[in-house]
Amino acid sequence: MSKRSSGFWAVITLVLLFCAPGSAHHGNSAYDEAVRVTIKGSVTEFVWTNPHCQVYLDVTDKSGKVVHWAVETNSPAILTRAGWTRRSIKFGDQITVILCPAKNGSPVAYMGSGDPGTKVIFADGHELDFTDKAAQ
Amino acid sequence: MLAALTFPVATRAQGNTAARSSDPNNLSGVWQFAPGGGGQGPGDNFPTLTPWGKAKYDANKPGYGPKAAPGGNDPILKCDPTGFPRILFQIWPFEIIQIPGRILMFFEGQHTIRPIWMDGRKLPNDPDPTWYGYSVGRWEGDTLVVETIGFNEKTWLGAQGQPHSDEMRTIERYRRVDQNTIQFNLTIIDPKTYTKTWEAEPRQIKLKPGVEIPESFCVASEEEEFNRRIREPAARQPGKE
Repeated sequence: MSKRSSGFWAVITLVLLFCAPGSAHHGNSAYDEAVRVTIKGSVTEFVWTNPHCQVYLDVTDKSGKVVHWAVETNSPAILTRAGWTRRSIKFGDQITVILCPAKNGSPVAYMGSGDPGTKVIFADGHELDFTDKAAQ
Repeated sequence: MLAALTFPVATRAQGNTAARSSDPNNLSGVWQFAPGGGGQGPGDNFPTLTPWGKAKYDANKPGYGPKAAPGGNDPILKCDPTGFPRILFQIWPFEIIQIPGRILMFFEGQHTIRPIWMDGRKLPNDPDPTWYGYSVGRWEGDTLVVETIGFNEKTWLGAQGQPHSDEMRTIERYRRVDQNTIQFNLTIIDPKTYTKTWEAEPRQIKLKPGVEIPESFCVASEEEEFNRRIREPAARQPGKE
């Protein structure tokens, strides 16, 4: 955190939501699930691996500094039931991500089925979230 | 437990019969635990620990529950087998497959098969300790009762780090109260760890029509990479690299 430029946090929006702590699924308490952060950036990698898929993206702040973010999410099976595929996110996609940030201030975060409001929004406006559509 | 065993009669009388499976002893299908008390485990209100159990609990550093902290030493973070009963409570579904002489539980989590012997055999006297134990089941009316022994001591009972010993014996009860719902009760008997029998939080298990179990192994090499790229940076203390 101390290494970040002062303008870094200008590119994110903090949104406080009332959600149930402990309902997330990622197996550790490193993330602040009471907080939602919005970041916007360019995808560098989408890892489709059990039990944690991952999205990596470069976020540029107002000063031009690029910060590399790592975002953990659900398993391929859960994402498939929510309408995702391994091709849903591609290198170079410009995406907005609403996520739960790491408590330690690192550019590491979580989004997933246990944390309402977390999702991915694409440049054309379509979204991917974590609602189970298979069992509806 | 008496109330639990007598309740289905009342439930059926209340008019859910049309939606019930025609065979009360058929639980085939894909199911998933509904959110409930205990979360991804049998609950935090466990009986008083023995000194042995307390030492084991103190050594467990979970990511959930009263002791939750970033990092930790949850064995499944290395893709160790989740073990029983913890795998039941995870956020992934499982399929119940009934075949002659056995019921198979096929868990999405770690792509795991758990056999329950239904052919009338007794529990073995001295089974090798394993991650899921040795299970035999029987029908008591419309309730499936499963007894399991033969666990190793390497697993947690839930994501909150509840310990157990290789002396643990579990009794599960599954009772389908309507087409889409199983009432689940779990008894944990482990005098080496807990000073009395533990009746876990009663839970409901919901049918997941249309869901299929895909391949979903936890692969240690992939998990190591995940730990390096995400879990460790997220848990690192501020100011430390």
